[in-house]
Amino acid sequence: MERDAVLAIILQQIRTVVPELENQPMGPGDSMADLGVDSVSRQEVLILSMEALNLDLPMVQLFGPRNIGELAELLHGKLPA
Amino acid sequence: MASSRPDPAPPRVAGIGVATGLGYGQAALLDGMWNPRPLGGVLQRPGRQLEGRATPFLGVELAEPPALLPPRVARITSLGGRVAVAVLDEAWRDAGLDALAPERIGLVVGGSNLNPREQGLAREAYAGRMAYLLPSHGYTAFDTDLCGLCTSTFPIRGMSCTLGGASASGLLAVLQAADAVRSGRVDACIALGALQDLSSFELQALANLGALSPSSRCRPFDQAHDGFLFAEACAALVICRADLGLKHYGHILGSAWHSNGQRGPDPSPEGELRLIRSALASAGLDPAQIDYVNTHGTGTPKGDDTEAAALAQAGLGQAPINAGKSLIGHGLSAAGTVETAMTLLQMQAGRLHPCQHLENPVQPDLHWVRGAPLNHQPTHALKLSFGFGGMEGALVLGR
Repeated sequence: MERDAVLAIILQQIRTVVPELENQPMGPGDSMADLGVDSVSRQEVLILSMEALNLDLPMVQLFGPRNIGELAELLHGKLPA
Repeated sequence: MASSRPDPAPPRVAGIGVATGLGYGQAALLDGMWNPRPLGGVLQRPGRQLEGRATPFLGVELAEPPALLPPRVARITSLGGRVAVAVLDEAWRDAGLDALAPERIGLVVGGSNLNPREQGLAREAYAGRMAYLLPSHGYTAFDTDLCGLCTSTFPIRGMSCTLGGASASGLLAVLQAADAVRSGRVDACIALGALQDLSSFELQALANLGALSPSSRCRPFDQAHDGFLFAEACAALVICRADLGLKHYGHILGSAWHSNGQRGPDPSPEGELRLIRSALASAGLDPAQIDYVNTHGTGTPKGDDTEAAALAQAGLGQAPINAGKSLIGHGLSAAGTVETAMTLLQMQAGRLHPCQHLENPVQPDLHWVRGAPLNHQPTHALKLSFGFGGMEGALVLGR
């Protein structure tokens, strides 16, 4: 799976968790915090994204990314080769 | 409210919000009180039926609540939560609570184990993929999430808690809210009788216990009574200091709250008589001054017979009596709040609703309201609620 496909999955989960963002343009440079996604909602996005990617990782491994693009990069790197 | 002297400045009820099978809002409830109609039917919500059961479970379900929450909040909010917000919104606007400081407004949510149906559905949905259980379940799975939901949706910044008292929860929440106002902890306190969202698991257990009626009609105090009819319901009452200048439905003149020493569903004749006498004493009233009784009246033979006998023995034979559950079914945790709302609305209207399906009353010498509404202006009303586990509450309301 390409990195952009992972990004698309994350963006889709953000719109599921925060339906208000349905028509909001967003991309890899945006951070969830800047989009108004609170910390619990961010956890929901992470879990939903991991399920969509069939990943099962401890949450602690997902700390660090500063924006959605970096998160996509990180998750992409965890996918089986 | 354990004192035996009347309260010199009794708290008042200043706002009412309600949801029953009759619809959302006071107007739908009033219409159903004056024009009773059977509401029971086959329960339709997911998780309410058992595959292979000979007969389906019957009851009363609410219409979809008005969409008041932002979509991101509604997504992780239970049916009971969305209904709670709808009734709280009605009560809030009715009382004009925006006039008070948020720090002086409290909330008591009546009910416990409120949402086994949706939790059961979630267990099924996540079977085999528990690693992906939504993090929000970490707080929405608890009854106390209703406190968080209500206080984050409305400017409530005083005390908040849930209070479990089985089918007396809704009434005990009113008593706790009144105590919070009387003690000065807050100036206004919302008592919210929460929707008890049962699954087929609890319904089957209640059926096996003999508590659930096999029929879709609830017949409190009729000789043909055969159990209660499960109903979704919810209500919120705003209880406040009498000197705030808010709307006025009635005063809370006295109350009683005790345990009758039973673990399960069995009523206690001595307990109910003691409860009624204690409530009247706290209001400083004689039985003859009570001119309306809103019963617990579930439609279970033992419960009805015991309550009717207690009313007769307490000297309340002259007071008109009815049973809200004959109209809307049994809302369990919500029942006491919904029925207190019905009591106040009837006092305001000067009219009492008939008991539906009451043809051959047990204790025929009591003053049952049946057949048609009774034009009658109560001055002092007594409201009773009993819960499994022997939790019993009584409320004396004045105009």
